[in-house]
Amino acid sequence: MKRLGLSTGFAVTALVAAMSTANVAQAGVTDEDILNDHMTTDDVVSNGLGVQGQRFSPLAKLNTKNVQELRPVWSFSFGGEKQRGQESQPLVKDGVMYVTGSYSRVFAIDVKTGEEIWEYNARLPDGIMPCCDVINRGVALYDDLVIFGTLDAKLVALNKDTGKTVWKKTVSDYQEGYSLTAAPLIVKGKVITGVSGGEFGVVGKVEAYDAKTGDLVWTRPTVEGHMGYVYKDGKKVENGISGGKPGQTWPGDLWKTGGAATWLGGYYDPDTDSIFIGTGNPAPWNSHMRPGDNLFSSSRLAIDPDDGKIKWHFQTTPHDGWDFDGVNELISFDYKEGGKTVKAAATADRNGFFYVLNRENGDFIRGFPFVDKVSWAKGLDKNGRPIYIEENRPGNPAAAEKGSTVVAQPSFLGGKNWMPMAYSQDTGYFYVPSNEWAMDIWNEPVNYKKGAAYLGAGFTIHPTNDEYIGVLRAIDPKSGKEVWRYENYAPLWGGVLATAGNLVFTGNPEGYLMAFDAKSGEMVYKFNTGSGIVGSPITWEMDGEQYVSVVSGWGGAVPLWGGEVAKRVKHLNQGGSVWTFKLPASAEMASK
Amino acid sequence: MMRWSDLPALLAFCLLLVGGQAQARLYDDVVASGYVRVGVYRDFPPYSYLKDGKPAGVDVELGQAIADELGVDLQLHWITPDETLEDDLRNSVWKGHYLDKDEENPLALRNVADVMLRVPYDRDYAYKRDSLGLLINERVVMMSPYHQERWQLAFDSEKLESVRTLAKFQYHPIGVEIDSLPAFYLTSALQGRMRDNTHHYNNPRLAFDAMKQGKVSAVMAMRSEIDWLLNEEGGERYRRAENGFPDMGKQAWDIGIAVGEGDRDVGYAVETVFDRMIRDGSMAALFARYGLTYEKPSLYLATH
Repeated sequence: MKRLGLSTGFAVTALVAAMSTANVAQAGVTDEDILNDHMTTDDVVSNGLGVQGQRFSPLAKLNTKNVQELRPVWSFSFGGEKQRGQESQPLVKDGVMYVTGSYSRVFAIDVKTGEEIWEYNARLPDGIMPCCDVINRGVALYDDLVIFGTLDAKLVALNKDTGKTVWKKTVSDYQEGYSLTAAPLIVKGKVITGVSGGEFGVVGKVEAYDAKTGDLVWTRPTVEGHMGYVYKDGKKVENGISGGKPGQTWPGDLWKTGGAATWLGGYYDPDTDSIFIGTGNPAPWNSHMRPGDNLFSSSRLAIDPDDGKIKWHFQTTPHDGWDFDGVNELISFDYKEGGKTVKAAATADRNGFFYVLNRENGDFIRGFPFVDKVSWAKGLDKNGRPIYIEENRPGNPAAAEKGSTVVAQPSFLGGKNWMPMAYSQDTGYFYVPSNEWAMDIWNEPVNYKKGAAYLGAGFTIHPTNDEYIGVLRAIDPKSGKEVWRYENYAPLWGGVLATAGNLVFTGNPEGYLMAFDAKSGEMVYKFNTGSGIVGSPITWEMDGEQYVSVVSGWGGAVPLWGGEVAKRVKHLNQGGSVWTFKLPASAEMASK
Repeated sequence: MMRWSDLPALLAFCLLLVGGQAQARLYDDVVASGYVRVGVYRDFPPYSYLKDGKPAGVDVELGQAIADELGVDLQLHWITPDETLEDDLRNSVWKGHYLDKDEENPLALRNVADVMLRVPYDRDYAYKRDSLGLLINERVVMMSPYHQERWQLAFDSEKLESVRTLAKFQYHPIGVEIDSLPAFYLTSALQGRMRDNTHHYNNPRLAFDAMKQGKVSAVMAMRSEIDWLLNEEGGERYRRAENGFPDMGKQAWDIGIAVGEGDRDVGYAVETVFDRMIRDGSMAALFARYGLTYEKPSLYLATH
């Protein structure tokens, strides 16, 4: 809890209690609430506005005709010194917003007034060195619990009314290089979580915990050769080795430390009863050390939510040599073809290709580049496997000389990074926040680590255009065509939201919350929030009015990277706040 | 994930002005404060580690020698290593770690070391430039070399008669520290012929334990680490190998210190102590107490 004076804290809590009794709905969040989240407009109880993660709201009160009347109603500051990288998506339930800030903080806010109800600050261990910055991407709600992951790799469940800890479980040892930054997913009463961690030989995994008690239900490693387990009556029972056995797609013992961290979490498709989750790049980063496909790195996995078994996998970058994590979200959607409904799922990968898969079995349907240029592969074969251009694979640093420089496009930050795209059920398009940048990569023999000589790779990222890096694209998953694009000077790093009001929302590092006409791409609204937006917007309705909220606070991975990209973002100021907007009922009436 | 952590110096400089950053203490402030803060790596024998709960190791003792010279107390600044030395220099010498914040006292400076030990002394490294042509490490000064380090193999004499070339490891298992140069080298040099026999461990001690359990026949690590492990083990069974490391870029390198760019006087004081210890033999004697071979930095070899 924030260090409020006791009396103030008590007064606030008492006020909330009073308000709560006045409100009708006070039941905890149920599995049904979560499964229906994409259809219910008065709350947002899941990351992705629905378990499939389409980020599509059926709300149409706010639309292209009246969006100019959208106005801020409150702004809430996270406070303190900790203003670094706000990548959260807020949730809203029964008049309360639950949102995370960087450095493992959670806030409960009264959505009517923007006043704080409670605040939770995780006590992080001294000397912690989280691998992946200090960001957090949001909470999950279940029953009367608010559940989130901390930088020291713990899952914490808080009481939604008081912010007091109900249970806390260690998912992995932070001292071994693990961390948690993704929003947890709730499936059938279980909290599903991955792990973050890039170096030090971590092995990715997906785990399910009983949402009410925090008890571990199953664990599934994401590198070939590691045993999965289910827990029955407190007993750990073997549940099959991932991939069957070790050593099929890895040399030597490298599978033991193979990476493939599941750091972005996943989504759930009730139609096929599958969790879809992506995996990071293989370790070590030098691909010449590990000939083979290195399963299940840089892949999308379909996982059985009951016991964690891998139903199918689709590897976007086999034998990755460019740091193309395969964590980007796989979004379920249906489309009609020849009178038949295709149960598909789509993903826009770091590697610059957009993939449409059959979500029942993982079969490749089609794929195409969604960025302007892909330098490392000629295309995809009929199974979706990249056709490599071998001379564009970064060289082997164990060769003593400084090797020649390889230009890789997209850069390792990806044609698209973590920021989630949206799918509009109305237009049938995906709205993909992407970036146009390349990297030079070369071997660097003069390097040191912990007092020892070390072989590094040097690399620098540069924009491929003077006018823009970021491109928000409307992509037709059936034709592979880009329908429209919006170009942004700085890289795009925030999530997207589509609505039935023919609107597409996203934010940019320059600080603007922007809305576009979903069909034409015309920008129809913008508002500067005062710091860069790298979070994901939401919308819901309350008292007959439509609201939009987004977190503002520049940070994340982009400012950590130097070279030419840093020039475009170095003037941007950090921050940490939630902005909430609404369309007043009067403005909605006037537009009719 | 790979990381590109070289903030251009200009950006770095701007950040430094924002406040809440660390500032290296000047020589007079160090002496007046009554302590010197010496940066050493955590859990890193034989250089710096805890033995029975007490700090021990060559670098810890050198920290004491620095404190004695300055007439102040020694305060150890334990460093959790980041991905590369550049990160460590940023976190521990010139800027401080971004998580090191004092909630109660937000204007307090972040903790950094007055002197960091075990920093390579290498002109090419010290003057390395980024893609914009700016010096990467311009906020620190690397000086006062005190030791030369190199790679070394130890083997189990009950498994192998001798190790004169690395060809043996096409047939026999060998243990290395994960994400180290030996790991790179053994999995990718010589057309990868040793790759399948390379076993990865979190540190050389665990690799050595695996050798004692018969899981690997040899271990490759820094010479001081190997010397210390062999010395702790005692006996004749585990021995130093005589092989070379063909096609390896850097076979030996000098180790020195780093101080903040504006704070060279503390560095000169350290240089005075270390130079005396190297010349009067007490540096070699200190290494010998831990069972380590001592090799002078190349600067001294050239002038003798």
